[in-house]
Amino acid sequence: MNAPLFKFGLFGDNVGLIFAFVIGIAFGFALERAGFGNVRKLTAQFYFTDLAVFKVMFTAIVTAMTGLFYLAWIGFVDLSQVYLTDTYIVPQAVGGLLLGVGFVVGGYCPGTSCVAVSTGKIDAVVFLVGIVAGIFAFGEMFPLLESFYNATPMGRITLPELLHVPYGVVVFLVILMAVGGFAGATWVEKTMAAKKGGQTA
Amino acid sequence: MHADAQSLAADAGQGHESHAAARTPQPYVHPYLAGFGLGLVLLASFVIMGRGLGASGAFSSVIAGGIDAVAPAHAQGNAFYGEYLGDGSRSPLMDWLVFEVLGVFVGGFLSGLLAGRFKKEIGRGPAITSGKRLVLAFIGGGILGFGSKLARGCMSGQALTGGALLNVGSWAAMMCIFAGAYAVAYFVRRQWQ
Amino acid sequence: MNEIVSTRTNPMIDPAIHIWGWEIPVYLFLGGLVAGMMMISGYFLFRGRQKEMATSCLTLPLLSVVLLSLGMFALFLDLAHRWYFWRMYMTFQPASPMSWGSWILLLVYPALLANALIRPPAWLTARIPALVTLSERIGTRSATVKFIGIANMLLGAMLGVYTGVLLSAFGARPLWNSSILGLLFLTSGLSSAAAFVHLVARDEFEQKLLAKADNAFLTAEIVIIGMFLIGLLSSTAVHIEAAQLLLSGPFAPVFWVFVIGLGIVIPLIVQSLAVNHKVAHTPVAPILVVLGGLILRFVIVQAGQVSHWTRLFPSH
Repeated sequence: MNAPLFKFGLFGDNVGLIFAFVIGIAFGFALERAGFGNVRKLTAQFYFTDLAVFKVMFTAIVTAMTGLFYLAWIGFVDLSQVYLTDTYIVPQAVGGLLLGVGFVVGGYCPGTSCVAVSTGKIDAVVFLVGIVAGIFAFGEMFPLLESFYNATPMGRITLPELLHVPYGVVVFLVILMAVGGFAGATWVEKTMAAKKGGQTA
Repeated sequence: MHADAQSLAADAGQGHESHAAARTPQPYVHPYLAGFGLGLVLLASFVIMGRGLGASGAFSSVIAGGIDAVAPAHAQGNAFYGEYLGDGSRSPLMDWLVFEVLGVFVGGFLSGLLAGRFKKEIGRGPAITSGKRLVLAFIGGGILGFGSKLARGCMSGQALTGGALLNVGSWAAMMCIFAGAYAVAYFVRRQWQ
Repeated sequence: MNEIVSTRTNPMIDPAIHIWGWEIPVYLFLGGLVAGMMMISGYFLFRGRQKEMATSCLTLPLLSVVLLSLGMFALFLDLAHRWYFWRMYMTFQPASPMSWGSWILLLVYPALLANALIRPPAWLTARIPALVTLSERIGTRSATVKFIGIANMLLGAMLGVYTGVLLSAFGARPLWNSSILGLLFLTSGLSSAAAFVHLVARDEFEQKLLAKADNAFLTAEIVIIGMFLIGLLSSTAVHIEAAQLLLSGPFAPVFWVFVIGLGIVIPLIVQSLAVNHKVAHTPVAPILVVLGGLILRFVIVQAGQVSHWTRLFPSH
């Protein structure tokens, strides 16, 4: 048996949608367990009082990245069959900046706002309506934006390919960076807590 | 870390009231454990489907489908909507991300219900009125929605999924998400702190 | 230019495949829901518990009249020769499920009205004071009340089974060609009706009792759906192909996600936790059950119309 199972024809599009639903349940469950349905916990990240967003995200990235690397290394997963979005570096950087601004102004990101809606948060419902409005605006303006949207194409490219180093080395560097980040984040949280004199965030 | 978890529990419990027997919300799972769980979900998605998680794409499909239902000529003439509509042989709602996001709602609901965290409220800091919070939520959502299309994905699709796949564009977007958020955080601090 | 498909798979040789739109599924759903409501309120009448089960015995009968009339109106919209419907009542054909159905529907109304008369609502008695004396005359005779209860249960069961038999009598549609469909629609109707009471009842005891009953109905529904699919899968190639429409074909996402997942399994989990005081009661679960019942009728009717003895559609 080879993976990705879907790409090797183990099941079709219809069954894929059922898996989508099941994977989505697990995704939403994990996000809610992490506290990502709570807007104050999410935004505390940007005031250095609670860096759980950073910790959860990088633990998840490291877990999935290392797991995938291992599964590819033992020959179970064909990495070239895993879907990767093409890189368009400048529009993606600008989009990322807007995502960050929207995140701290609105308090959520799309996935976490769904979890917040399903646990009864009214502000998340309004945030979702805002997302729909934003995407609608983008869609209507698309003829104007199209050339920028497709600017600076780099194709399907990964960090190891960009830096000309083996995949495993980049995986190792990311793990190192994450562990360093976790230590730094914990130190920052403690410093901030001490500064606030035991005040709850 | 223990003290951290306790303060979080207290935070989440603030003003909580439940019409069922007094049920205090459980504390959140430790960040590393939650992250490990999230990572395994993402890995499962890679292994089963050969693709990662996402969220904003589902909304694009719903919008494209909605516009196609109201003004089909307008939707099909637009390259952006066209990408989500496909060749028209299948409803844009029969889409992987749409079903995945449907699951996210369900999973979040189940987790919140089990932990006693389901509560109708407006999430905000103590220093802002509900009305202002809702206006900012809408503006933030709008900026984020627009940005997610330019970045070709959101936090789940780019930062999380693309991050784990070491995708160049995703890492660029991820760094810019943090940069953008930290740059503006000071100006909206009254909303949260 | 008129293109003609030269093989037999074309509308000029084979009759139209998709002739039923939204009307029939809506009618089947409302019929099943009313059947479930009649059985529930009839049961409590029979047990003489109409006073403690206020929603089941007070709201359901009158609401059933409204819902059934809406369903019949949907059915009426689907008829090709609308103004000849009365001819159904000029004859009785014991071999025709449609004939059975029209007579059952005719008998259901007086049973429901008699049920409603036992405790007529205040807004109605205010307008028609004569109802008070009538209802007192019925309500004080426990044998009459029991008889009305039995009549409601029996006619409810017949109505629920009939909504399924109506489909399974079509030999030309392999997916429907299962005698268990009547039982499935009856059980689904019971679970939707119990969920409805769970949703609207104000009394906590009644709410909990119906939530427990709903869990039992939902569990039974899963088993019956399993038997329905096993029955098809162990039959001929066309029946297997029909079952595949739901299991992995174009109807699989809606069937598994909306009917099984959101319509049965998730509400069952939530309601089981709620009746065991593990989580708070939430209206989400019963709403999902009712919607799941509606979507079940849509999936079965639509997929059934695609299932066929000849290969009209390329296999998925």
